Amino acid sequence: MKTKLTILIALILLLAALAYITADFFFSGQDTSSNPFDYKLEDLRRSDSLETAYREIHHFTPGLDQISGITTDHGDRIIVSGQGGVEVYTPEGILISKLPAEGFVRCIAIAPGGKMYLGIENYIVIMDPAGKIVGRWNPVSEKSILTSIAVHRGNIFVADAGEKTVYRFDSTGRLINRIGEKDTLSGIPGFVVPSPWFDLGIGRDDELWVVNPGRHSLEAYTPDGKLISSWGKSSMHNDGFCGCCNPSNFAVLPDGSFVTSEKGIERIKVIRPSGELDCMVAVPSQFEPGTKGLDLAVDSHERVLVLDPWKKQVRIFVRE
Amino acid sequence: MKPSEKHKPMNRRAFLRAGVQVSIALGIGGMGVLAVRRSGTEKLVWQLDPAKCTQCGRCATHCVKNPSAVKSVHVYAMCGYCNLCGGYFRPETKTLNTGAENQLCPTKAIKRTFIEDPFYEYTIDENLCIGCGKCVKGCGAFGNGSLQLQVRQNLCDNCNQCSIARNCPSEAWSRIPANTPYLLKGYGKEPS
Repeated sequence: MKTKLTILIALILLLAALAYITADFFFSGQDTSSNPFDYKLEDLRRSDSLETAYREIHHFTPGLDQISGITTDHGDRIIVSGQGGVEVYTPEGILISKLPAEGFVRCIAIAPGGKMYLGIENYIVIMDPAGKIVGRWNPVSEKSILTSIAVHRGNIFVADAGEKTVYRFDSTGRLINRIGEKDTLSGIPGFVVPSPWFDLGIGRDDELWVVNPGRHSLEAYTPDGKLISSWGKSSMHNDGFCGCCNPSNFAVLPDGSFVTSEKGIERIKVIRPSGELDCMVAVPSQFEPGTKGLDLAVDSHERVLVLDPWKKQVRIFVRE
Repeated sequence: MKPSEKHKPMNRRAFLRAGVQVSIALGIGGMGVLAVRRSGTEKLVWQLDPAKCTQCGRCATHCVKNPSAVKSVHVYAMCGYCNLCGGYFRPETKTLNTGAENQLCPTKAIKRTFIEDPFYEYTIDENLCIGCGKCVKGCGAFGNGSLQLQVRQNLCDNCNQCSIARNCPSEAWSRIPANTPYLLKGYGKEPS
């Protein structure tokens, strides 16, 4: 009897121990889902989202496989570039024409006569308005990554993220001078371009504006390369530019204000010519996390056209 | 041999002796084969794939070592040497200096050194790093991802069942050959 009782107690203890081990193994109270070291990027995207002064009124999806560049012409037609060529749309987003080109057309600019300058990898292709290729300028450097083009008064300005410089060509493709290379005597800090987003554009007073992304600033130059002015501030907040290298793209409004886009914290804002924040065009919640390369254009009605490569859309915003 | 000896049945004692001898011979042979096979097998170590890592923090909390054998390592060839480093500064930082209140790392394990305007170098003090991955997340979000989490093999006990691997939500952990013990992503692949 005594032996049986001992065996019974031993069995009960054994079962209890097994139950405890099983429960501990499978249902331990340790909360493995919480992260005491969490860096809440989502909060950062949310907390800095102010009311926007712009409203998205329309969007359309270009037919190109991969989209990269956007601009407008004097008739407010929208020109989109990307893998395999260029597409031309009405201001309402209705396709007018498809102009094929070999390679990935990263950037595009339109001359007053309608001639198009296409930046493909490290060289430039020139197209007439009908889409016929009428010229090709060979690379200045094998390291070149052409990221932006502007045409103004017979000058063709080209931003090269690979060589961290801006080229000024004449209409025949002759290199006249380089702009923005480090020159301490002239007070030129030099471009810092950690990633291939390096934009330029023409300002209200015909000056050339170039992003210096690693310094979170925009710099104004004369065509012959004299530094006129610069502005910019490093900040995760809306009053500055965030991350390693921003703004990624910009466009200039008729009053001289700048529309800028950023990556890291995806946002688009309007900055006054004095460099102060005017308002937000779009906030991070309106983009997919991780969106990069939000190229910008404005038309004569001051609509802001945003090329969203992640959503593969052209998105049109108007000020309310 | 006499015909009667040829067909003489084996007695029990002889059978047992023969059986024991065969068993010993097989055992020794098997051990030999096993030893030869083991000597030809690669040694494996635990490592996490930065391309799959989501910086969940479990590398800091689930390692049997304290502090964790997982450390943030720096692929210098990828680094932009940024002034506003997303892996170093807290997002609400007002001034870009080395003040403790500005640093993202909970243990101040990242050292910031001025190189030339506007470039700064960031180095990890592995004695302070706990492998939480905050800097990795910041660098990936705002920079180009040159900070990456890796198991430091000189610190790892190489447990048979890795506690972090068992709890990793993104299945970033695997055993890899000990002669190539790191899985850094990007170009360069030179840990600090």
